[in-house]
Amino acid sequence: MSGWRLDEGGLIDRSRTIGFGFDGRRYQGHPGDTLASALLAAGVGIVGRSFKYHRPRGVMSAGVEEAGALVTVGAGARRDPNVRATAVELFDGLEAHGQHAWPSVRFDLGAIAGLFSRFIPAGFYYKTFMGPGRGTGAWMLYERAIRRSAGMGAASREPDPDTYETTHAHCDVLVAGSGPAGLEAALAAAEAGLRVIVAEQDFALGGALLWESEPVGENSPADWRSARVEALQRSDRVTCLPRTTVFGLYDGGVAGMLERVTDHLAEPWPDLPRHRLWIVRAKQTIVATGALERTIAFGNNDRPGVMLADAARSYARRFGVAAGRRAVVATDNDSGYRAAIDLARAGIEVAALLDSRERSPEGPAAELKRIGIPVRHGTVPVQAAGRAAVRRLRVGRRTGRQVRAADWIECDLVAVSGGWSPVVHLASHRGSRPVYDDSLAAFMPGPIDEPVHVAGAAAGIWRVEDCVHSGRAAGNIAARALGRSAPEPELPSPGGWSLAIRPVWEVRVDGQGAKRFVDPQNDVTTADIRLAHREGFASAEHLKRYTTLGMAADQGKVGNVIGLAILAEAAGRPIAETGTTTFRPPYTPVTLGTLAGRGCGPHFRPTRRTPMDRWHRQRGAVMTDAGLWQRPWYYPRDGEDLATAYVREARAVRGGVGLCDVSTLGKIAVQGPDAGAFLDRVYVNGFSGLAAGRARYGVMLRDDGIVMDDGTVWRLAETDFFVTTTTANAATVLAWLEELLETRWPELRVCVTAVTEQWAGMAVAGPRARDVLAAVIEEIDLSDAAFPFMAVRDGRVAGAPCRVARLSFSGELAYEVMVPADHGEAMCAALWRAAEPVGGVLYGLEALGALRIEKGHVAGQELDGRTTLDDLGLGGMASSSKPFIGDVLRKRPEFARPDRQRLVGIVPVDRARTLHAGAILCAPEKVAGHGEGWVSSVTFSPELGHWIGLALISGGLEAWRDRIAVAADPVRGSDVEVEIVAPRFVDPEGSRLHG
Amino acid sequence: MAERDSALDGHLQPGRYGEAADGPGVVFAEIRDIGPWQVAAWPQTLAAVAVRLAALTGAETVPGPLQAVAGPNGTVARIRPLVFWLTHAGEAAVTQAMDIDAETGSALDLSHSRTVIRIEGPRARDLLNRGLPLDLSPDAFPAGAFAATALHQVGVHLHNRGSGYDLFVPRGFALSIWELLRETAAQFGYEVRA
Repeated sequence: MSGWRLDEGGLIDRSRTIGFGFDGRRYQGHPGDTLASALLAAGVGIVGRSFKYHRPRGVMSAGVEEAGALVTVGAGARRDPNVRATAVELFDGLEAHGQHAWPSVRFDLGAIAGLFSRFIPAGFYYKTFMGPGRGTGAWMLYERAIRRSAGMGAASREPDPDTYETTHAHCDVLVAGSGPAGLEAALAAAEAGLRVIVAEQDFALGGALLWESEPVGENSPADWRSARVEALQRSDRVTCLPRTTVFGLYDGGVAGMLERVTDHLAEPWPDLPRHRLWIVRAKQTIVATGALERTIAFGNNDRPGVMLADAARSYARRFGVAAGRRAVVATDNDSGYRAAIDLARAGIEVAALLDSRERSPEGPAAELKRIGIPVRHGTVPVQAAGRAAVRRLRVGRRTGRQVRAADWIECDLVAVSGGWSPVVHLASHRGSRPVYDDSLAAFMPGPIDEPVHVAGAAAGIWRVEDCVHSGRAAGNIAARALGRSAPEPELPSPGGWSLAIRPVWEVRVDGQGAKRFVDPQNDVTTADIRLAHREGFASAEHLKRYTTLGMAADQGKVGNVIGLAILAEAAGRPIAETGTTTFRPPYTPVTLGTLAGRGCGPHFRPTRRTPMDRWHRQRGAVMTDAGLWQRPWYYPRDGEDLATAYVREARAVRGGVGLCDVSTLGKIAVQGPDAGAFLDRVYVNGFSGLAAGRARYGVMLRDDGIVMDDGTVWRLAETDFFVTTTTANAATVLAWLEELLETRWPELRVCVTAVTEQWAGMAVAGPRARDVLAAVIEEIDLSDAAFPFMAVRDGRVAGAPCRVARLSFSGELAYEVMVPADHGEAMCAALWRAAEPVGGVLYGLEALGALRIEKGHVAGQELDGRTTLDDLGLGGMASSSKPFIGDVLRKRPEFARPDRQRLVGIVPVDRARTLHAGAILCAPEKVAGHGEGWVSSVTFSPELGHWIGLALISGGLEAWRDRIAVAADPVRGSDVEVEIVAPRFVDPEGSRLHG
Repeated sequence: MAERDSALDGHLQPGRYGEAADGPGVVFAEIRDIGPWQVAAWPQTLAAVAVRLAALTGAETVPGPLQAVAGPNGTVARIRPLVFWLTHAGEAAVTQAMDIDAETGSALDLSHSRTVIRIEGPRARDLLNRGLPLDLSPDAFPAGAFAATALHQVGVHLHNRGSGYDLFVPRGFALSIWELLRETAAQFGYEVRA
């Protein structure tokens, strides 16, 4: 192949030249070029190497169906492999490389694989290395070598430096594709007053009109396109999105679209995302995605220089590039004539037009005769010759089903048209099964039971003018469906050629052994299809998996129909009965970054901060994630590490006083005349009798009797409760309460509202807690008599109103002080000013955990969705005088089994040993399997001076009293003998919290 | 009364950011101390509560579902079937709204629970749709419309004030959402106003 830039023509900007690199060499092109057109113009023939056999490959098409010119674009972290050169918009400084070749695509040592091709047919890896006596071990041995020799380009392993984003849009009508049908459909919908989005995967609107020569009525295609595009761009109801691919249609009129925002820019503005994911909700969708031309499977039909006929035409008319100097056009339908005429008009010598049929369409035949292009009827291409590019083509005479090889024709371009396949992908996404049409030799979109309309060539309509009518009809159908006034749609019939297609799927000639490719991207040949059939892969879906036909980025665009036709022939049944594989999104590849959008890095998930977040950080807190919350983990002093700091903090709490941010606790306002009755039904214990100004610990169950969550309930007034939940279950509990009120008990006059964000909370814990509060809290009598354990009072702190409850998670004398969130920092500062002089500390999540384990309080680790009240030793809380959720099913016999795992405490027999959460508790005589239980929480106890833990073990303390268990930890490789003890290690009588 | 902090203290630096030849596409400001205060009704008292709140604010009509109406003394929005939010209200109106007997409804001060980011400018809608799956076109989301929705997995409320939008973000997520909005808005050019 020896392409060159034509002296005139095309939609490129010849006044400007842009430089780019390919495989280390410098070339020039023009704005409006694709990488493929610029490479062709520069005479570059070999652009890549094939997947399995390392055969030289050139540009085969002019669109997203490209199977040969797959290249790597960019370098470093921006290296993007397996990019179709035909879909890359050229820009100044673009750098691309051929791939899957060494040292280069022009001379590739890997091509030696071609010599062994008979040993590596379809599915060879399934049988050559896996069989009796070889097994998995052999496969593991060879897998690495196979993977290394196969495949395509390599992605960068560096972090992606680009940003991506998602955007949402709504419209009345989404039009996928901007060819003649798409433009007309969009205009019809806009004229009916509808909001329209037009998405076009190319960088220019117009689809095939960008190179079409067939007039539209009395207009040239270019003039017609310009008028329509201008009209759409003028309309404030229409959004035109070039460089945007509708890659999938989903439920409810949702379309997924990928916009390539900066891929075409030499110096992208850093604030712009590279790609944008559009999630469009459309009331009506018009699929005007056109059709893809097919190749013909003849010998060496993958040689650089063998190209789809319409692609060669596109390069000449759109890009001003001759794809070769002497062409042969081979066709089985009318469209090849238009290609031959346009190539000749562009200045390319057309040596012959081969038509597999015995007649020519009248008009084009006369035109060819006038130009001087010889037409050879009943003639097909047999084999291309030439090592790195086509040098000549052997043709054959078709006699019935047989082909007899005939003469050779010197040429460097073979332009092939094996018929057209409507792009049925998007329709298929909506469950429409393609239907084979014998007269068109194509799979057509099947019926769709949704507001999705297929128009133009995607509906098998071949003539440009008919496509326009089809688009207008689709637009009108959409408008009428939305209640707008629009003319009665007139749908043109599919087809439109003068003479029927006589499909040529494959050209087989006795004694001609050259490979005939069906799917060049995956190196699948016609022989592979037959082999698969002989080996029993008779279904289209099985054939695909076995041969890889139509897999990966190709998704069956070029070769699927040919492969199915050959399979049908081998099976002796019609193509319609053979069926096709299922097309699934995405239509073309979507970068992972696009799907992630801005949800990566610091925005991988939203961060939740307490009102005192800044205050903690200013005091040196080391923060940690607790769900979405950022919480102080510990406050190191003088180079302390975690282990040292939290022990110091916990000891200070037990010995003096500590302050801890508890703003993250879930907080729910439960209000209304029936609030007390509602809480009685939700919690296992009662609340309607709780006095105002008092709080009570409560546990709620799921319907199945398993513990859902625990917390405290503060009664603020007769009809006003303040409920706290665990940090982790706040959202779950709120949703549960709302569900109950809306579905089970709508008659209750209760309103539940999340107030977690309204209140900032600090726990003040330790023997000196009352002293600290006394220094800063106003309007509350803090004496034990006036403010006993589980009392709630309103007061003021730092000039702000506050709500104080005397509660204890640590087991010490303790209070929780709540203020409206915007006063959180002021409250903290005031409390700290009082606590610091008396040796108080700030303590974080680690010390909080240590204190609660010492007291045996359960938390999320124990409330894990498997434990019951009795498992946790809380069975006594359950009321027997009222019904509550979970009360029936908690009494199931299974939950009363004596061997259920129940909460216990553990301490290592050797007090110097360390415990690990997650270890399996086993009987010493049987350290194996799932054991007898597991360790849920552990800590080094600052109070006791050794490690302690909470665990759940079969039969609980009664079964294990005075017995030793083994905390087996096969993951971390340590087994520790532990004593099973009661799960309260410090102050089991609770005297301190009443202090 | 003690001064109030904001979750965005120190993070809203007034100025212009990003490139915008024709002026900023988006204008941000934090709006402080505008509520919300919540009033919930019971099914039997819904109409009475709506009328009472409209009267307190001076609004001429009662708000429909997911709609806000404004009067000289405040704005009242119906954010759930039986729940209203009062915003931009004076102290007297708030005091009266909060004073409701339990047989009629319940009241709750949520004025510290949300950080309110005002988003205006010609590209405000585009910015919001980068995260919100709402149809914000004037026909579908006209002035006065109120929505409970999700932005980057965070439950937020959005009010179309006509001249722009007020985004009510849970206080704890405010900084995270602000950073996301700011980064996204850079492509439009944006201004932060004090």
